[in-house]
Amino acid sequence: MPTGTSADPVLEMRHISKRFDTIQALDDVTLRLYPGEIHTLVGENGAGKSTLIKIMTGIYSPDEGEILLDGKPIRVHSSVDAQGYGIAAIYQEPMVFPDLNVAENVFITHGSRSIGVNWSRMVREAEAIMAKLDVSLDVRMQARGLTLAQQQTVEIAKAISLQVRVLIMDEPTASLSAHEVEQLFKLTRTLRDQGVSVLFISHRMEEIFEIADRVSVFRDGRWVSTRARSEVTAEGVIRDMVGSEIEEFFAKTRAARGDLLVSLRGLGRRGVFSGINVDVYRGEVLGFAGLVGSRRTDVGLALFGVAPADTGQIILDGKATRIQKPQDALRRGIAYMSEDRRGIGLSMPMSIATNITLPMLRNYVSRLGLVRVGAEDATAEQFRQRLSIRTPSVHEQVGRLSGGNQQKVMLSKWLNTRPRLLILDEPTRGIDVGAKAEVHHIMNELTSQGMAIIMVSSDMPEIMAMSDRILVMREGRQMAIFDRREATQEKVLAAAMGQHGGLKENA
Amino acid sequence: MARRSGWLRGWEGLLLGILILVVAFNVINARHYVGIQNLVNLFELHIEEIMVALTMTFLIINGEIDLTVGSMMGLAGCVMAALWEKGIPAPYGIAAALAVGILVGAFNGFMSTYMGLSSLIVTLAGLIGFRGLAFVLLEDRSVGNFPGWFDHLGQQPLVGPFPFAVLAFVVMLVVSIIILHYTGFGRYTYVIGNNKDVARYAGVNVRRVKMTLFVASGLVSAFAGLLLAARTGSMRGDTGTGTELAVITMVVFGGVSIFGGTGSMFGVLLSILITLNLRNGMGLLNISGDVQTGVLGLLLVVAVLVPTVGNALRDLFRRRQVSTHPRGAGEQKGGAS
Amino acid sequence: MATIRRYVRPEQLRVFSLVFLILAIFLFFGSQIQGYFSVRIFNRVTSDVAIVAVVAMGETLVLLTRNYDLTVGSIVGVTAFFVGKVVSAYHGLPPVAAFTLAIGTGALMGAVNGVVISYGRVPSLIATLGLLAVYRSILVGAPTDKIVVAHLLPPWVLNLAGASLFSIGGFYVTPLLVIALAVLVVFHLVTRYLRFGRRLYAIGSNPEAARTGGMPVDRTVFLAFVLSGALAGLGGIMFLVRYGDLTVGAAQGMELNVIAAAVVGGVGAFGGYGTMIGALLGAFMIDLLDLSLLRWLQISDFWVGAFLGALILLAVTVDSVIVTRLRDIWAKGELRAGTARESAAAGKEEDGGA
Repeated sequence: MPTGTSADPVLEMRHISKRFDTIQALDDVTLRLYPGEIHTLVGENGAGKSTLIKIMTGIYSPDEGEILLDGKPIRVHSSVDAQGYGIAAIYQEPMVFPDLNVAENVFITHGSRSIGVNWSRMVREAEAIMAKLDVSLDVRMQARGLTLAQQQTVEIAKAISLQVRVLIMDEPTASLSAHEVEQLFKLTRTLRDQGVSVLFISHRMEEIFEIADRVSVFRDGRWVSTRARSEVTAEGVIRDMVGSEIEEFFAKTRAARGDLLVSLRGLGRRGVFSGINVDVYRGEVLGFAGLVGSRRTDVGLALFGVAPADTGQIILDGKATRIQKPQDALRRGIAYMSEDRRGIGLSMPMSIATNITLPMLRNYVSRLGLVRVGAEDATAEQFRQRLSIRTPSVHEQVGRLSGGNQQKVMLSKWLNTRPRLLILDEPTRGIDVGAKAEVHHIMNELTSQGMAIIMVSSDMPEIMAMSDRILVMREGRQMAIFDRREATQEKVLAAAMGQHGGLKENA
Repeated sequence: MARRSGWLRGWEGLLLGILILVVAFNVINARHYVGIQNLVNLFELHIEEIMVALTMTFLIINGEIDLTVGSMMGLAGCVMAALWEKGIPAPYGIAAALAVGILVGAFNGFMSTYMGLSSLIVTLAGLIGFRGLAFVLLEDRSVGNFPGWFDHLGQQPLVGPFPFAVLAFVVMLVVSIIILHYTGFGRYTYVIGNNKDVARYAGVNVRRVKMTLFVASGLVSAFAGLLLAARTGSMRGDTGTGTELAVITMVVFGGVSIFGGTGSMFGVLLSILITLNLRNGMGLLNISGDVQTGVLGLLLVVAVLVPTVGNALRDLFRRRQVSTHPRGAGEQKGGAS
Repeated sequence: MATIRRYVRPEQLRVFSLVFLILAIFLFFGSQIQGYFSVRIFNRVTSDVAIVAVVAMGETLVLLTRNYDLTVGSIVGVTAFFVGKVVSAYHGLPPVAAFTLAIGTGALMGAVNGVVISYGRVPSLIATLGLLAVYRSILVGAPTDKIVVAHLLPPWVLNLAGASLFSIGGFYVTPLLVIALAVLVVFHLVTRYLRFGRRLYAIGSNPEAARTGGMPVDRTVFLAFVLSGALAGLGGIMFLVRYGDLTVGAAQGMELNVIAAAVVGGVGAFGGYGTMIGALLGAFMIDLLDLSLLRWLQISDFWVGAFLGALILLAVTVDSVIVTRLRDIWAKGELRAGTARESAAAGKEEDGGA
């Protein structure tokens, strides 16, 4: 329950604007955070949430506007400054020091005056913080063995030790299991009850409704709304996030379902996922739904041979096949587009054309081994037109393109392998709404040409709109398969959270 | 990857400028500088090093490093010399030396690629270990008296004024340029160096590429060691010591990032030319070998320092601009951006 | 068992295994070689080891931060030579001043390293690869006769080598050994109880987190290089004391031995873990093994290099394959214990709560 709506705000961001080259990341944004509340900030990627956080923690400075702490203007030039003001942030990827123990992790970044280290006091104080958080974690443990959730706990302990007043949590539940998410929520509520102001960034509807006291929505760098949770509805939030009704954006054309392409029987990988049973048909989009941590990506990786399955079967063209490495998958007409553009999707310093032809380089090489640049450029041009990639030339460095265009280059790369089954992992994450629609349009085209698509997505509306069937996973297990006609968001969510209610076998 | 980033073109332009300066300086100091014979000498004195620099370029672009090159030159030469001492005909010795090069390269590659060890540490151990083996073979003796044809090949011109080694280098240079910039293998080299996972996901056989590069490095180092033996007419346990520094310097100075993924053979070629001319010029001024190496060391450090310092200065300048931005209560959106 | 897990860290395990190995070597070779436990051998080993150990401890400080200092060999050579020349010319210079000069010169060179690497952002491998040649060339190019001659050195230098401060059961404890042990104690305290020392581990463990967490990374790494240089300088004057006659090639290549000692002593390939005592034990074990093999197999001295290389490789492979796995198991064991405690606590809560 919010305790501070009538009190003065702890932190106020007033008329903040920030511009990067041609993009207005934040435009006259005002946000007030009160002590003892959990304030959820929602918005699509590119809405300006992370820019705001970076300004709050001193990584960027605003072009215009000011930051007020307890009503007085402050300048935050660095993370050390932010620390001093009691502003701390926790991200999806916690930054712990694996070789140090928990207690040391909590205290080592303190800008303390003392030259020496008092181990027994450090341990005692760390234990006290853990008690305050009502968490039992052995502070003498090395940080290396901690789970992601426990590492987040360490980060929170670190913030407490710095007497945090405003704690920013940036999509902290992304890689947590359902159980761990519950623990985190419990922790967050404890913090709130102790008077901390929590800014909780999320785009997951369930979380908003479970934990928020107030909900703010950003869109395209602008503040849209702030409401108490009691006044908020899912449709209202989506409407604020997207700016118009959902239906407009996900135009799905029904393609005729074709022949059976591949069957998965009891597919599993020890310790990761198990029991995947589904038939995939040409011309259909099979959506993989589930909360993050459901291990959907791992199924994709298994089908693509990056992290092969060790139990069960993949039956392709009527025969059981083994896919042990990406080349196996590519040869069989399976392609996988990862969600991680930067890390594993594209080689940033290389050109668009080079990236597109990489998996199929064999086909662009003459007998002597020389690359036929002309053929390569021709292919790249084809895709440029087909997918409307906005770039001055196909020789442009991929790293210079916008997120949406990078996504298209990645898509081109995999389409160029002429797959029969295309696995898309979060295909529209982090790109603007216009590009999103384009990607969906392309998906429609592909299915009408007979391609089978498995789409892993955490975007519920996207799943609901684009899938012909929806396979729901939870913590590595298959929970249900819904046909489009009978699926509702509630049913899918329920299955994703472990409540029964859907068909479990093949649909 | 025939496309080079804008930054690199700038670096190569800088190198070209430096090369012109160095050559001009040398020509002023020694009028017979511009003559075919001096040109050949220029290359000949360090031909083995610059040969190894070619394979080192591939490895560093690929995100790896091979510190064993100097020790390999020594070991290969010692293998041949030791066998020669025992009366085994030179051709067998040469074959054995090259085989050792391949084996060592494969070993380095195996440890770095399949065992997941850092190539830096592996080849550091190899640097020590293989040098040790070279000493085991020849102890503190010096072996010479190689067959006439061997010495002749190493010391006398073969085609026109160019000895075998120089011709071999030219061939290797052309082949290297073609492979690195115009073939699929070269492209894989770049991608793996930039991002191993992207390559893996694209179905590239990362291990095979790395193994090939390490084996090539070992083979070329062995070949270079033999050439050194032929040129100097003798072989000792410590032959080739310290080559690694010179080679890495040339490659990095040529614009190849130590982190992998960027760089070009043309830059390295310019860097090689600068290094050779500098050494030659310093030699003409009677500067000792160690000091020459010191100058090259300084060059290396400065070469990497300059872009960083330049960036830092530019950032400092930019920040000063930003902090003069108007900020404050009630500011309207009309401010300059 | 759980209590052991709480109080003993994996790298301490590594150190114990090293001690164990050394004991095993002692016992084995002691039984095979006559006169193994002789005074002469002890002195020879400890003097050589002392020098390498001191420099290795300095190198470890740098390695902890995920950097490399390849200049230590050149620094040892330069300081040994420089101090040698100075004391030869000024016999009246008190020993303390000579030591200070050595350490100071080393620290100065370390500071140059630090500036280039920390503030110039040049990767340490490249920077120290280049700088080692620069320092060596200063030595070679300086206008002096290229040797330091023992009989021109002041008597205290020559005496220091063989002097014994006290003896334990017939084995003399030389000043060099005492210096090494003193450095060990001081720097063990630094890496364990000083914030600065702990920051070294943090920086190597997760450089990004260190930076975003607001740690003074640049300053800390700079200091690490200064200390590495200072200890190399100390090693330099120890080198002078030990060898007396020097050429400009003194200590060339020593950085390899030093890194070998550190690696064998358990320092992580990417920093983050390692100990001072590990470095000293590593230096000790290498020298001991080398000497023992020499006498036992009567193989030629020339096998040293080959053997050393193999040893480094072995140590690194063992570390990477076994110790990492051990560390994970260790951590998971703690994890399981921790989770058990967690769920026990949660269980209690449920019983007692609403």
